[in-house]
Amino acid sequence: MTRRLLQGSEAVAEAAIASGCRFFSGYPMLPFTELLESMAKKLPAAGGVCISAESEIEAVNMALGAAATGARAATGSCGQGLALMQEAIAESALNELPLVVFNMARGQQDYFQATRGGGWGDYRTITLAPKDVPEAVAHTQLLFDLADRHRTPALLYGDYVIAHTSVGIEVAPLAFPPLPEKDWALDGTMSGTGRARQIWTWARGKPNTPGPGPNLAWQAIADKYAEIERTEARCEAEGTDDAEVVVVSFGTTAVFVDRVVEELRAEGVRIGSFRPVTLWPFPGAALAEATEGCRLVLVYELNAGQMVDDVRIHAADRSAVRSIGGVSQDASGMRQGDLLAADELRQRVRRALADGPAARSAR
Amino acid sequence: MSAPDPAAHPVADFKPDLLQSAEHELCPGCGHPVAWRLVLEALTDLGLSHRTVLVAGHGCYTQMMKLSDLDSLQCLHGRAPAVATGVKRMLPQTAVVTLQGDGDMVSEGLHEVLHAGARGERVTALLFNNGVFGDTGGHLTATTVLGQRTKTSLEGRDPEVHGYPIDVARLLAQLDGTAYVARGAVNSPGLVARTGRMIRRALELQMAGAGFTFVEVLTMCPTGWFVGTAEGPDYLEESMMATFGIGELKAPGQ
Amino acid sequence: MLFTGVGGQGVQIAARTLATAAMDEGRHVMLVPRYGGGMRGGMTNAEVTVGDRPLRALPVATDCWSAYAMDPSYWSTVRPHLRPGAVVVVNASLVDVEVGVEGATVFSVEAGAIADGLGAPMAAGFVLLGAYASLTGLVGVETLVGAMRQLVPPYRTQHLEANERALRAGAAAVTPLAAPAWAAGDLERAGR
Repeated sequence: MTRRLLQGSEAVAEAAIASGCRFFSGYPMLPFTELLESMAKKLPAAGGVCISAESEIEAVNMALGAAATGARAATGSCGQGLALMQEAIAESALNELPLVVFNMARGQQDYFQATRGGGWGDYRTITLAPKDVPEAVAHTQLLFDLADRHRTPALLYGDYVIAHTSVGIEVAPLAFPPLPEKDWALDGTMSGTGRARQIWTWARGKPNTPGPGPNLAWQAIADKYAEIERTEARCEAEGTDDAEVVVVSFGTTAVFVDRVVEELRAEGVRIGSFRPVTLWPFPGAALAEATEGCRLVLVYELNAGQMVDDVRIHAADRSAVRSIGGVSQDASGMRQGDLLAADELRQRVRRALADGPAARSAR
Repeated sequence: MSAPDPAAHPVADFKPDLLQSAEHELCPGCGHPVAWRLVLEALTDLGLSHRTVLVAGHGCYTQMMKLSDLDSLQCLHGRAPAVATGVKRMLPQTAVVTLQGDGDMVSEGLHEVLHAGARGERVTALLFNNGVFGDTGGHLTATTVLGQRTKTSLEGRDPEVHGYPIDVARLLAQLDGTAYVARGAVNSPGLVARTGRMIRRALELQMAGAGFTFVEVLTMCPTGWFVGTAEGPDYLEESMMATFGIGELKAPGQ
Repeated sequence: MLFTGVGGQGVQIAARTLATAAMDEGRHVMLVPRYGGGMRGGMTNAEVTVGDRPLRALPVATDCWSAYAMDPSYWSTVRPHLRPGAVVVVNASLVDVEVGVEGATVFSVEAGAIADGLGAPMAAGFVLLGAYASLTGLVGVETLVGAMRQLVPPYRTQHLEANERALRAGAAAVTPLAAPAWAAGDLERAGR
């Protein structure tokens, strides 16, 4: 394999296809549109089906149907379109269907949507937030594996920058441990045998094969998510062992944080960075350890303050937590605005360092 | 002791093969079991017993899914045609059938069914139309006929206030992607037989890859209509059949 | 008191009629229905709490004084929540299960048969309700009739006369105050 110049959207599409994705559906919406276009171009040649759906609601429901047959299926949009898909994502979780959902987000870092969702019931989605295109390629493949392994919807939190940036990259297929057979998948062949299969959130079963009913089924699903929370959290921490100050961020923003923290360390500031790679499960225990002894925990996210709630819950000293990000949208409405800049970040970190622990948080 | 009457069979002998149990909790006089029997018989007769996936919406008819010996997926209200699209595209040789009521398909899911029809998805969409949301207690849907009393149209459907019912079959018949569009009813033996033939034709055309096939079945809901059980069949004729009409709206070679 | 039956027997309107009548007589009332989707055949239960002072009752009742059972299908959901010695009024036309409550006083009323005899089979639930009211004196039969007239929805007004006959026939089919609700000792417990 050789490296090629690929746009993030193209690379993610190729990674999905390399993972065995054979169904994709979506509705054009920037900055997700290029991913849909790439799949429309590449998926049929790989023996798959790509449908440009007439609405986001249809797109996600088509993908749900495809996933129910045991195929690796995906859909996506930006946060605004994902808002329409919430019910079906929850439905997938409560049906224990593996469904991969790509959020190529606009300017807003919609952490709440990516981790709490707007569906119903006790469901979660495994959510990965890559910081750049190479990581997005690896995460795409990991998501298809995690979705199948845990029988759950899984979300990639991408954004305008990742979707549109082109880099020289090789989309190398990753290896994963073997997966159990999908004996729950519907293919019509159990019809007429007396033991037909059924996928139903109420889990009532059929007369010959009664089910546990909604109460037991949903308790079991909640237990499953508790187990995922214990085992699948991922993060990256740099320079936090001796840090007095840690900057917390996710996604593309983290690349800027890494740069600024590196510069400040070179100046002698005892500063580190912490990045949740899984937004859910949130790597709370690792964050607690990384912020042990810190006088400041600075959260840089491009929104009015969302991830900061989880940082406060888990940080070693919650009074040390400060929001130093904010809402930031560029004039087009599609992309992050002026706060996605090293200079701006550096100024805010310095100001926080100068103000010290007595300073009140922006939020 | 006299010899058993050869013409007499226990009722259980008539249970269709594709039904795991005939014990349902639907109201006396409900048309759904009659209509569903036609579907199961058609699937069996056409040799599709081991090659069918059912995608069902939300309503009293969801029980039909539960009782049937078919690989089944219960989906979100209104979304069955979209879900069925994903299923059929991954299983092109399998018979894919959707089952929805009028509230599910014509109110909530009008978008989904029209687009699936336009795309010519090779599935068979079934509409059990009783002109009312029966499961929730008798409320207005997009197919409730003018003058029909429901809990959300207490004085009867009034076009000034509630607008007009939608004939979704007629809309589908206009789309190039639809191969077969028919409307039957189950309020009389003659119509039951005729509707059975429509369902069979729709499934045959699906398996032949002709395009989107659709059968609407007008069914009785005396509970939702607030009429006596025995009055259901006549009421269906006077209200729904008078509004919508019976027949094949679109068929190959027409 | 706990009400149980299957969808279509008029359990909800019976419970609501009783609750309304109790309110009309100046009592404090709470009515908590329990039913799923589907119009017929499924579980339909209700809990009515009546007291002569403001209630502190929980919306999930336990240790209840009485029960009204139109059908045996969901009796098992009601039985555990009745206290020993409870007053149980059942529709003998259908209920064929063991009541299974220690020391319970059981009154069997042929509600279905009586309603059929009146030419009003759909009013069996009101027959049983009339019987319940007469047996316990929880509310007066006249108040019950008045409450029924208030509650019957506009698409059922053709049944008002039949419902009234049913209530009165049920009341007449039993011995009045055979198990009084408002006896001295029970007063406090019925109100909590």
